Amino acid sequence: MDHDATREQMELAALEPAGIERLMAGDTPTAQAVAAHLTGCPACTGELARLERASKLIGAAVRETPPADLRERTLATVRALGRTRGVPALAGAAPGGLASEVAVPMPIPAAGPMRSPRGRRVAVGWIAAIAAAVVLSVATTSLVVGWRVDRSLAAQTETIGALQEVTTGTLRVTSEPDARHVVLTAASNPNLNGTLVFSPSTSELVVVTTGLTLPPSGQEYRCWVERAGERERVGKMFFSGDLAYWIGPVSAVSGLSGGARFGVSLVDAAGAATDTAPILAGGL
Amino acid sequence: MTERHQGATDDAGLVRELAAGSEAALGILYDRYGDAVFAAAYRLTSDRGVAEEVVQETFLTLWNRAELFDARMGSLAAWLHTIGRNRAVDRLRAAGRRPQLVALSSSAVPDENETQALERAVAGGTVMAGAVQPLGPEEAAAAADLRDAIRTAVAAMPDAERTVILLAYQEELSQTEIAERLAWPLGTVKTRTRRALLRLREALGAEFGPSAELDAVPVRTGQDR
Repeated sequence: MDHDATREQMELAALEPAGIERLMAGDTPTAQAVAAHLTGCPACTGELARLERASKLIGAAVRETPPADLRERTLATVRALGRTRGVPALAGAAPGGLASEVAVPMPIPAAGPMRSPRGRRVAVGWIAAIAAAVVLSVATTSLVVGWRVDRSLAAQTETIGALQEVTTGTLRVTSEPDARHVVLTAASNPNLNGTLVFSPSTSELVVVTTGLTLPPSGQEYRCWVERAGERERVGKMFFSGDLAYWIGPVSAVSGLSGGARFGVSLVDAAGAATDTAPILAGGL
Repeated sequence: MTERHQGATDDAGLVRELAAGSEAALGILYDRYGDAVFAAAYRLTSDRGVAEEVVQETFLTLWNRAELFDARMGSLAAWLHTIGRNRAVDRLRAAGRRPQLVALSSSAVPDENETQALERAVAGGTVMAGAVQPLGPEEAAAAADLRDAIRTAVAAMPDAERTVILLAYQEELSQTEIAERLAWPLGTVKTRTRRALLRLREALGAEFGPSAELDAVPVRTGQDR
């Protein structure tokens, strides 16, 4: 193996997990060839040392760099859960201001041991946020029931039952020690937002959105989870007044520790595809 | 966050505007300190997911409790750093883990020296163990400069090369796994990996760059797409 081939192998190994260590283990023909070259080549041996130092430095810096979308997700979290503050400065930033109708004041007690990895304080905030959205929707639904009792009572009763299911499902998921919450954001519509809670251990997932309009005839909003570049269909959004929701088990979130995305896309109801651009999305 | 900001530029003034409801002020403060809070949380937890949550909770706390910040008592950087650290430690305790031991220089906020950082840590009851200080102030500053140089280089490189670097280091994927994830030929991934690494090493300067004693290794272009 010559200089160029040796350096190519070293550079590729430097960006593999434990790649240099495996290359130096010498248990493959390539590794043995690299080791043989290094034995008689001080220049490449020195280059390997520099490469290792550089790779460690680069790796540390890259790992300590937050993802590009964290800023928007953080601001969306504040928008959804932050306390209500001066309205004029917030006009136009979000529907109804920073703390819109789904927002709840969130007292932050002094730091101390948390009940679960997700934490009671945050869980309570999310439960309250989702519950507030559900309550608003139920109120809207009740008005509709009042107006058109004769035609829609049965349907509305069914809807209220579903909303109760969302509420109890949210409580059930957030009581899990590994419950995680995600703010869903819409790239093109500031009036649209969503909240998702799920538990990797129970695989149960609840998603609630506000501002989603009814889909055109023949189309529906389909939920999906994307892992390793592949989307898995989860379910479709149900509507009740201003609230759209879905609740159920999702095998794709079982044992999930990151690196996945949840999204909602508008698709043809008759089709199976979910590969259209998301209306709402968030990292899991 | 579309609100345009035309007010204060100092931290105390921005916090006052934030307390009055300015999203723009919050955005500016995130731009100023978000990366540092993330980096500190990651150093403590070695978990990017947890570090992201710590950042969100830290800025949520800033929004909810802005009135409690008093610039006479300390800098905003120190205040945010303490909030973030406490949130990270909460997470670790809940998971039955211990924080990573980090050098004091790593936990110091931008306008603090090590003595101030230690005093703050002691006052907050957050010192769990002592450790040998590996870097002096000048070395720590040089390391910070290198980190900044790397981040700048990553931000400036072509999207395809940045993607492979982020997947390799942040998600610890092998080149084969990156090829599968992105549906790229393995040769393309290797080519882009080597190009990206070369760019980053050059950004680090002579000490970490490719050896001058060796000719540059040509990166084949035929595999790219």
